[in-house]
Amino acid sequence: REKQGPSLPSTLVKKMFTHYVKMPVTKEALQVVDRCVNVYFKHLSNDLEAYVNHARRKTAEPADLELLMRRQGLITDKTPLNVLVERHLPLEYRKLLIPVAVSGNKVIPQKLK
Amino acid sequence: MKRTVPRSTLKNLVKKHKPQLRLGGNTDLLVHLNFLLFLFRLAEEARTTAIEEKSKIIKYEHVVSSAKVIILKFFLETYFAYYNVKTVHNCIKF
Repeated sequence: REKQGPSLPSTLVKKMFTHYVKMPVTKEALQVVDRCVNVYFKHLSNDLEAYVNHARRKTAEPADLELLMRRQGLITDKTPLNVLVERHLPLEYRKLLIPVAVSGNKVIPQKLK
Repeated sequence: MKRTVPRSTLKNLVKKHKPQLRLGGNTDLLVHLNFLLFLFRLAEEARTTAIEEKSKIIKYEHVVSSAKVIILKFFLETYFAYYNVKTVHNCIKF
């Protein structure tokens, strides 16, 4: 079977997928998951490029991802982005994404672009 | 499950697809979040199809049928106005 473009390491995808399904998964099914991940990243980079070009920028910014997730129906008025970050990402990354007030009335990080 | 994000791998992956696209500060973390949610939805869908067919393990066809639903939901729903169903099916060919 030929390789279809670049993808994440299959062991990582396997670990994550089996963690989420909580059921035994056959080998062929895992290969399909791998190919899904390929397709996913292909579409994702296409969409991101479209957003970035539309805004006449060259760099993808967090706002683009927020827009994408809003269109995907992941971010709604009831579940904003911060809630998703809190639910799914570990603390060290949450610190980078959600501004928190620290002593001296400073906010770290200052603001999402 | 390992909770750390392979940040440089993710950046390289997007770079391989779109060489001229740059990911600004911490955008890769949000890409990872999106990817997690994608896998999560895919897993849930595969699980329900497997249970519906009274199978105790996730098989090839369960993942294929759920992948079509989830990829459609994640990326192609808004394109329906412009393309017909046939092109959508070509997009998610396996």
